[in-house]
Parts: sequence; C-alpha cells; structure tokens
Amino acid sequence: MGRSPSVRAVQTHARSLFAAGVREYRETYWTPDYQPADTDVLALFRITPQHDVPAEEAAAAVAAESSTGTWTSVWTDHLTTLERYQARAYALEEVPGRDNEWFAYVAYPLDLFEEGSVVSMIASITGNVFGFKAIRALRLEDLRIPVAYVKTCTGPPNGIQVERDKLNKYGRPLLGATLKPKLGLSAKNYGRACFELLAGGLDFTKDDENITSQPFMRWRDRYLFVMEAVRKAEDETGERKGHYLNVTAPDAEQMLERAEFAKELGSPIVMHDFLVGGFTAHQTLSNWCRRNGMLLHVHRALHAVLDRQKSHGVHYRVLAKWLRLAGGDHLHSGTVVGKLEGDRETTLGVLDLLREDYVPADRARGIAFDQRWASLPGVFPAASGGIHVWHMPDLVDIFGDDAVLQFGGGSAGHPWGSRAGATANRVALEACVQARNEGKELATEGAEVLKRAASRSPELAEALETWREVRFEFETVDTLDPVA
Amino acid sequence: MMMRLETFSYLPELDNAEIEAQIRSILDRGLVVAIEHTREPSAYDHYWTLWKLPLFGVTDPDDVLSELEECRGEHPDAYIRLNGYDRRRQGQVLAFAVHRPAQAEGS
Repeated sequence: MGRSPSVRAVQTHARSLFAAGVREYRETYWTPDYQPADTDVLALFRITPQHDVPAEEAAAAVAAESSTGTWTSVWTDHLTTLERYQARAYALEEVPGRDNEWFAYVAYPLDLFEEGSVVSMIASITGNVFGFKAIRALRLEDLRIPVAYVKTCTGPPNGIQVERDKLNKYGRPLLGATLKPKLGLSAKNYGRACFELLAGGLDFTKDDENITSQPFMRWRDRYLFVMEAVRKAEDETGERKGHYLNVTAPDAEQMLERAEFAKELGSPIVMHDFLVGGFTAHQTLSNWCRRNGMLLHVHRALHAVLDRQKSHGVHYRVLAKWLRLAGGDHLHSGTVVGKLEGDRETTLGVLDLLREDYVPADRARGIAFDQRWASLPGVFPAASGGIHVWHMPDLVDIFGDDAVLQFGGGSAGHPWGSRAGATANRVALEACVQARNEGKELATEGAEVLKRAASRSPELAEALETWREVRFEFETVDTLDPVA
Repeated sequence: MMMRLETFSYLPELDNAEIEAQIRSILDRGLVVAIEHTREPSAYDHYWTLWKLPLFGVTDPDDVLSELEECRGEHPDAYIRLNGYDRRRQGQVLAFAVHRPAQAEGS
C-alpha cells in the first residue's frame, strides 16, 4: 500500500533484534476464515480505499488501527499475545452500484472495551481510523453489541413501560411540542406558551436544544415558571403533564445542579443533548435519573454532522445503539414525513433498535447484525420537525403507539392559538388510534378519518384547513443500498 | 373545566358499537381485559377499584360488554375504564374511559 521496498527491507536487516519493519496489514488482520465469537463486538464498515489500495488491505488496516496495530512492528508486541486482542477483518462485499466502495466486517474481542463504557467503545472503534490516509472515506454502518457487553450497561433510566405506568398513559403515542419561538421569550412568557399547549391536550412540551441559560431567560427562572404551568395544566385536565427541562450545561456540575432543581420542583422529566454534552456527561445524568426516578428526554444536536453522508461518518443506527446503552427514555429518531432527513426503511430499523428486545439482521433496513438487548429497557423514539395534523395517520401507522410525536409549529401555528392547536393534534391522534384499532388502514383511509373527526372538532377542522398544502418533498441524501 | 381521562377523552364519548369495536381489537391482540371504576379520578391515582378480576380467558366481546353493564348498574356515579394487559410485555398497554357519571361535566 504505497510503502517503499527499502523500508520493507528493514525487517530482514541482520542487526534487527526482533522482526522489525513494516508489514502489510492484511498479513495479520485479514482473516477470511475467522468465525466470530458470540462475545465479539462486530462492526460493518463501508470503506472507500485509495485507488491503489486493495480492499483486503484497506479492511485489514481498519481492523488493525482500531485495535492492536500501528504502522510498524514494535518490540513490545512480543511481550503479549496480540492474537488475543487483535481485531479481525473477516468478510468483504462490494457495495452494489457504487464505485470502489466495500462493506467490510470486523470482529473485536470483548476485552478491548471497558465494561459499561460507551466512551471506551467509541474511542476504540472510531479512534484514528476515520482519518487514515490509505482510506478515502469510512463509515461505520452497524455494530453488533454482544449480550455479554450489554449486560455491563445500565441503559435507559426507566424505559417505555415504566414511563407509561408512571404517567398513566396507555394505548396511544404521546404528544409533545417544542416551544416557539425557540429563542427570545422571557421566562414568564415561555411558561404561558407551555401552559396553553399542555392545557389543550399535549402530554409534554419541550425546550428547544438552543435553550440552555441565556441572558433573556436564565434556567432557574424558566424552570419555576414552566413547572407552575405544568402543575396548573394537570389540575385543569386531570392528566399527567411534563416539560423537558433542558439541563445541557457548560459543565457536568451545572448539569447536575439543574437536574436537581428540576426534581425539587416536581418535574417528572429532564432533557439532555447527548452528542454535544458528550457521552461521559450523558451517562452521569442517566445514572442520576435512574437513582432519582426521573425520565430522560434525549436530543441529538450534532448528529447530522456525523451521520448524514453516505460514505463517511457513523450511521445513526449506531449512534442510537450507543445511546440505548448509555441511557435515555426518549430519543429523537427521524420522522420519515416532515422537514428533516430520514429514509423510511432506515428509520423503521432504528425504531426497532430503540424499542425491541431482539432485532434480527435485515439488510433491507440496513441492519447487518442480529441484536439482542437482553432486557435492557426500550427507548421511546421522538418524531419531530415540520409535522402537522395531516401527517398524523402516517405517523401513527409508521410509529405505532410507543413513540412521542412532537408538533411544535404544528400546534402553536394554529390560527386560534396554541391551545386549539394542541387540541386539534390530540383529537387527530385519538381518531387515528381509534380507527386503526377498528381495523381501518391509516395509510389509505387516513384523510377520511381526519375529516370525520374534524366534523366534530372545530379545532381540528381549522388545523386541516391551515396546513392543507404543506409538503416537504426533497430527495433523501442518505439512501439505502440495494441488497446484493 | 372538563376532567380528561387520557386515551379517547378528546373524542365524543364512545357509543356501544365503538366500545365493542375497541374490545374486539383488544381481544384480537391477545390482551387480557380488566374493568376499573372510581368516583374521584386523579392524574396521580394509579389504582382505581378493580371490578372483580381481570377477565382471564374471555374471548367474546359480548362477555366484556355484559360485565361492563353490570359494573355500570352497580356504580352509576363512577368513572369506568377498560384496561388491557399484555402478558408478554408484563404490563398494561391500554386504558380508556367508557363511562362517566351522569352529572359529570362533558358527559
């Protein structure tokens, strides 16, 4: 792979006291006969090698550089049995219909990773291989986490079923909304926006990810006004309500201080941005939530920087798996419909990976490996971004009951205000659930279901009229490959 | 202000045919139905009074409806809801109100 023969010759130099020099990675790290162990972490990479680099060598380089290998032999290699710790590239497939792209399967022995540490796993597997010169681009497509490792992680602080039991909400998706405008409201006005939506029929409202503690609204003021709104909405409706109080903070101490205050005020839930906050802070918060009986809503700012490009980065299904290990009760996960990127089959695969206990490999959904979660609690996927009442039948059809559907603009944008907008969404949701249970096909009969419900709900009728023509139809950037 | 009772409480009150359709879907999913009632619903109250026991082994919606009628007859002033339990998931997966007291707002 572009190494000069003169360098290679060093290994046979008469004065070398060990097998010094540079070997091709594939001599050690390409092992097509290897049978992965049940305890191995398995990775599927999409590799685009440089043009003069054979695929086996590129795959072996990824295995080597993300485990025991470095660019040259070193004498201390001989103080251990590297074969016990080395990763192995064990299979290669040409990506159908793509130029010089390969799917490479790599197996990592379990001992490479610290127990219960997503941070350790990420540092190992995505360490420096993504910038390796011999590879033009690299994407981590999927990761099989063995049960032996899953069992070292705490996972979601509560999980789907426990959250439903705590909140007394069954048999339908939960409804939320991000408060708008995202920035610039005073704490008191912000609490008003929260109250109107909750009293109108939503289950949750949410801080936008931009909201932390700015000059126009400090976190402590926001928490106080918002929690007054939550309690008042509960008194009015007789239903449990919550607001995702964002505790994402400049440092972990302040993050925990904010979480403690949220708990003190009786909030059932806090929110964290796991990628910008970082996995260490996130796992600290998740453990705190488990200890304190708090729900944890997880936002994913930064994810599209990492996961959107088809040939480079980390696929969202892997980020979602890491989050389920590190802990979170809700996670934003794409909508299929609406304003944000998300291929349908890919999103359905991610939903399964968040919610189910066992997810079989299914390349038509981009899932390369069977994944067993061994009773780790499930995560509610949260759908948000440009969705409104007309999307409700599709959303109920796609997501089923165990999801949080977030209608921000689609609630507060109602011509009669937030309360009417919230009611419109709640009526639309319940009408869709009722119709689905009666055996109606929401994908084809959804519009009729909504119109019938609107004949008995003026709020819904007005919402249907307002958002009749809104569509977000753009080509998906990150598409699935045809199955070979 | 009208007391809401979670799922379906933003729709007009379900009539008997609509209740029967929901019961059928619960039974078709293999869930166990239970009936609960209370005079004072609250967002923080997890346990209403159980009517008898969950209706184990019941597969005919008419059997559920007749239990519901009996419960209504004995507790006309109560709120009554139907629950669905999923043994595989080891928890409750459904709950919706099917009866409000005659004098309750919004009924």
